Amino acid sequence: MVDAFAYVPAVVLLPFFSFLVALGAGKYLPKGGAFGGVAATAGSFLLSLWVAATVAGGRAYNETLYTWAAGDQFELTFGALIDPLSALMLVIVTLVALLVHVFSLGYMNDEGETGLPRYYAGLGLFTASMLGFVVADNLLMAFMFFELVGLCSYLLIGFHFREPGPPSAAKKAFLVTRFGDYFFLVGVVAVFATFGTAAFAGEGSFPALAEAALAGSGDVWTPGGLGVETWFTVVGLLVLGGVVGKSAQFPLHTWLPDAMEGPTPVSALIHAATMVAAGVYLVARMYGFYALTPTTLAVIAFIGGFTALFAATMGVVKDELKQVLAYSTISQYGYMMLALGAGGYVAAVFHLTTHAFFKALLFLGAGSVIIAMHHNEDMWDMGGLKAKMPVTYYTFLAGSLALAGIFPFAGFWSKDEVLYEALVHGLNEPLLLGGYVMGLLAVPVTAFYTFRMVFLTFHGEPRSATARDPEPVRWNVKGPLTVLGSLAVVTGFINMVPVQKVLGLEGIDYLHRWLDNEWGGIDGLSSHHYADLGPYSSGYIGGGEVPTVLVGAAVSLGLALAGLGLAWRLYNVASPTEHTAKLGGIKDVLYNNYYLDELQVWIAYRTEDVAGGADTFDQGIIDGVVNGVSSVSLLGGNRVRRIQTGLVTQYATMLTLGLIALLVVLGVNGGWFL
Amino acid sequence: MVPAQWYLLLAAGIFCIGLFGVLTRNDALYFLMSVELMMNAANINFVAFSLYYGDLTGQVFALFVIALAAAEVAIGIGIILVLYRNFGDIDVTVPTEMRW
Repeated sequence: MVDAFAYVPAVVLLPFFSFLVALGAGKYLPKGGAFGGVAATAGSFLLSLWVAATVAGGRAYNETLYTWAAGDQFELTFGALIDPLSALMLVIVTLVALLVHVFSLGYMNDEGETGLPRYYAGLGLFTASMLGFVVADNLLMAFMFFELVGLCSYLLIGFHFREPGPPSAAKKAFLVTRFGDYFFLVGVVAVFATFGTAAFAGEGSFPALAEAALAGSGDVWTPGGLGVETWFTVVGLLVLGGVVGKSAQFPLHTWLPDAMEGPTPVSALIHAATMVAAGVYLVARMYGFYALTPTTLAVIAFIGGFTALFAATMGVVKDELKQVLAYSTISQYGYMMLALGAGGYVAAVFHLTTHAFFKALLFLGAGSVIIAMHHNEDMWDMGGLKAKMPVTYYTFLAGSLALAGIFPFAGFWSKDEVLYEALVHGLNEPLLLGGYVMGLLAVPVTAFYTFRMVFLTFHGEPRSATARDPEPVRWNVKGPLTVLGSLAVVTGFINMVPVQKVLGLEGIDYLHRWLDNEWGGIDGLSSHHYADLGPYSSGYIGGGEVPTVLVGAAVSLGLALAGLGLAWRLYNVASPTEHTAKLGGIKDVLYNNYYLDELQVWIAYRTEDVAGGADTFDQGIIDGVVNGVSSVSLLGGNRVRRIQTGLVTQYATMLTLGLIALLVVLGVNGGWFL
Repeated sequence: MVPAQWYLLLAAGIFCIGLFGVLTRNDALYFLMSVELMMNAANINFVAFSLYYGDLTGQVFALFVIALAAAEVAIGIGIILVLYRNFGDIDVTVPTEMRW
């Protein structure tokens, strides 16, 4: 019997090999090494399915594969942790990566881009680092792959490095996420210092130790006699810094809209499956730790709810297709954070899953439109594309309905569950309720901007010559769109909790059962366990669970339909006008992203002195010590080498003097002169 | 029989003359001759101890040193010739390329 878990490293290494092949031999291969990437991700996808099937067969995997440093206090290791969560994530990541590779054939190769080996190498490394992050069994390994993901995003966003925009956007993405990762790194060190381990799962894992410490047994280190719970909150918030940076939550979301400078398939990969998903996945991965600290959870929920609303409002006024999608991504990840903070572990993973599919779909659809429009992204130049590109239209529509949360598309089920969890847990928690209200307010805004985008792009009269005669797209664009379009429609059915609760059917909440280790998993990593750890109690409105479910679903669906209806009225006409201009000053504020970019630049200039001081310290003190040591050797060497005069007589003199000195020493020691 | 220390004193004297030559002269030929003196001082020591202990090994060794000295002179003359060809002089203080 061959064991699927033995092939877990291969899932990660296959895309890594495609990276090496594309980098080393891409120039000599057909299509710039694309087929290597497609084959590698396809292989990873099949292996992931096998791994997931093995988990469904009732087994799990938690092994240390390689110890790269061992000390007295702790060991630094690489390992693999396969449980229902990571198995699910593996399937999502590899599937999206595979489709993005195929789509790239149409978007990059057919469009005659140059530098393709570099592109496919980047995609391969990106996929490999994300997969490594997903299977990581400890926080340090997760951090290392987290950084690799950030590096790859830098390389790919800056792919068109000869134009002015992309390199600057890449730098911004790198710096902003690095700012968050700084806190993450401190958090990792704090976890090591506190628990002596960073393992995610098992008896001696840090969530288990933290649980024991809070229960009063076990002994953990805290700095300066700080209370255990306070310290755990601090550690949780530190790690959260990395999450906020990568998952583009307020206030570190500013890099994401600029990241649209990268090629569209890369945007799809970043937004759906890799970089941005990494933050939310990390919180889900160590949820056993976060569930212990109510303050952290409340902060997560509030940031999430606020980001959901905040980003959605900015999406309303954008003119470029990909910009709208960028803000929708920020907003949707806000929902996931809201769910995590509200104790809705399953809801967050559910939304992560559905969002991965419909957002990849929307980005690839946007890519298809961009090909057709000869790389013009301004929606005001589009219109009427519906008749010209039906496959793109209908799949894009499915994705939009899912994003807007319209019944029965995937997004409805997941978003509804997120809001439901926030509502039932938030009735007694003001901060959480605030998050819920903001999340709810974001629903109509989301529906509005989504359908503003759809109507402007596909409906009405064509508003430019390109839109009247768009360039056709090929199978390699339509194929991925069709797959993702179908998934955007049906993914919601894996977890129809409202239907189960209202109709009293049992067992159709497959995702709940999956994450609750019903088929297999690791003790202490089940949603049930997390619910027991969490601080929340449920409250219901209208006297019970069923009315709460119905009211919640009806309100969010009603709001979504209201937003859709407004967009329909305003923009589903032959030649729409810029209604957002009527907002006047508010529009300017929204269009300029609340001037947050300017604020960050302003802060950067104000803190120039701090940076200058740090630089002086680094150059003067740190480097000074190193340089000082070396200059002593240099100076000494300079002086001593002067004895090499080249005069043979002087050498002979020195030999003689040395001999005499030796004789004198021997003589004194031997007592000749006494 | 002459006591051994006289031989040693003689050898030390000759050695010092040779050393003095090496340290004070600039001419490569003087060098060669001085080195020859120092070697022969060593030879005297060998032979003296050989006589003192009644062991022939020292005398055999002296023969080897004489052969070695002949070879050394051949190489030394060669070096002096090259020196003269390259610098037009056999003053050993002139070639100072091999310094810092």
